[in-house]
Amino acid sequence: MDFFKQNIIPGEVIVQLLAFLIVFWALRKMAWGPILSALQERRDQIKKEFDRIETAKKEIETLKAEYAVHLQKIDDEARSKLQEAVDEGRRIAREIQDGARKESEQTFQKAKENLEVEFAKARLELRREIADLAINVSARILKEEMSDTKKQEAKVLGIIEELEKAR
Amino acid sequence: MADPIHHETTHATGAIHEAVHEVVQHAAEHHEAHELPNWITLLNDHFDTGWTHFLHQWENVIFSGAIACLISLVAIRAAKKDTLIPMGIRNFVEVLFEAIEAFVTGILGPHGTKHAPFLGTLFFYVLLQNWLGLVPFMKSPTSAWSTTVAIALVTMVYVQITGIREQGVWHYLKHLAGNPQNIFGIILIPLMLVINLILELGAVPFSLSLRLFANISSEDRLLLNFAQLTLGSPFYIGFFFQLFGNMLAIIFSLVQAFVFMLLSTVYISLVLPHEDHEHEAETAPAH
Repeated sequence: MDFFKQNIIPGEVIVQLLAFLIVFWALRKMAWGPILSALQERRDQIKKEFDRIETAKKEIETLKAEYAVHLQKIDDEARSKLQEAVDEGRRIAREIQDGARKESEQTFQKAKENLEVEFAKARLELRREIADLAINVSARILKEEMSDTKKQEAKVLGIIEELEKAR
Repeated sequence: MADPIHHETTHATGAIHEAVHEVVQHAAEHHEAHELPNWITLLNDHFDTGWTHFLHQWENVIFSGAIACLISLVAIRAAKKDTLIPMGIRNFVEVLFEAIEAFVTGILGPHGTKHAPFLGTLFFYVLLQNWLGLVPFMKSPTSAWSTTVAIALVTMVYVQITGIREQGVWHYLKHLAGNPQNIFGIILIPLMLVINLILELGAVPFSLSLRLFANISSEDRLLLNFAQLTLGSPFYIGFFFQLFGNMLAIIFSLVQAFVFMLLSTVYISLVLPHEDHEHEAETAPAH
């Protein structure tokens, strides 16, 4: 008992008890409460942020897929348009070619007709000139050899006959 | 014991040595020379008047108060710096608090968070009081039984209040009466009541306080003896032993503070409702 009495001093015990109670109360009110709740808050916030990041990632994933589909579509469209344009170009080229060929044929035909007309004209001219020439020749012959009429006559007739034959 | 030390000292020179030796020798001759002297005992020895006597009488309270102020200042200052990204002192305190919270919830389950303030305060208060004895001219208040009895009594009351709150008065009384199941249980109620009361109200604070007090006071004796050994040994070879002793004291102080908190946590867990009751409490709109 003496040991207890020596070591446990009631007044000191009471003061120490109060001191600890005050520290405990003060710390609980002003340190533990705020800090633990802040920690919990931070935990919640971090979790929330991570969740949000996760959903955002998923959204981006879907958007990406959508974009890929869109891009594919645009690509296809572009290709088909290009193909169309190429076809159109080819068609136009063919049309132009056909037109040109037709025109050239027409021109050729016309030229040929012209040539034939010219040819006929030239022949006519030639015939007229030949006729003129024949008249001239006959006139000269007539002038020169009126003396020998019979001979002359035979000659002219011969010529005419020849001409007739040549015709 | 004082004589050979004195003999050795005559060979050594140096004012510091003389002074320290005097102090240690004085402490050894002093009527309660089981610890290294602190500034209050030095004042008391030097002046030996009424107010130094008063200080000396209340030295444990003074050192406890210093620790209390230190803890409060640091923790409250840290708590005021509430930012999303903790810096400096706030970070330090948060790490400590979170470790305590994790430890407590590890034993008591997720509901144990509300006991973390008490157990954490207990831990830091005891730990710093234990370590204070290692600071030159300071003293561990926990090396006096009065201090540890006070803390243990608070713990006991806290545990009992927690028991009443968590179980309800009826279950608490039933628990004290030994949970009588049949006629023998009812007959044994007086015996069980006495045993439980002695165990929970007496043995718990007694064992808690005596363990801490005995450990820390013997630790302080160890430090004193190593100090004396250092001064008494040739070429101060004992200094290495003293260093070793200091390291041991650091570790043992930590262990004792931890054990105090651990046992308090276990006592709380013992008075908490059992698993099946807890499930009922969870499904019902609980407290």
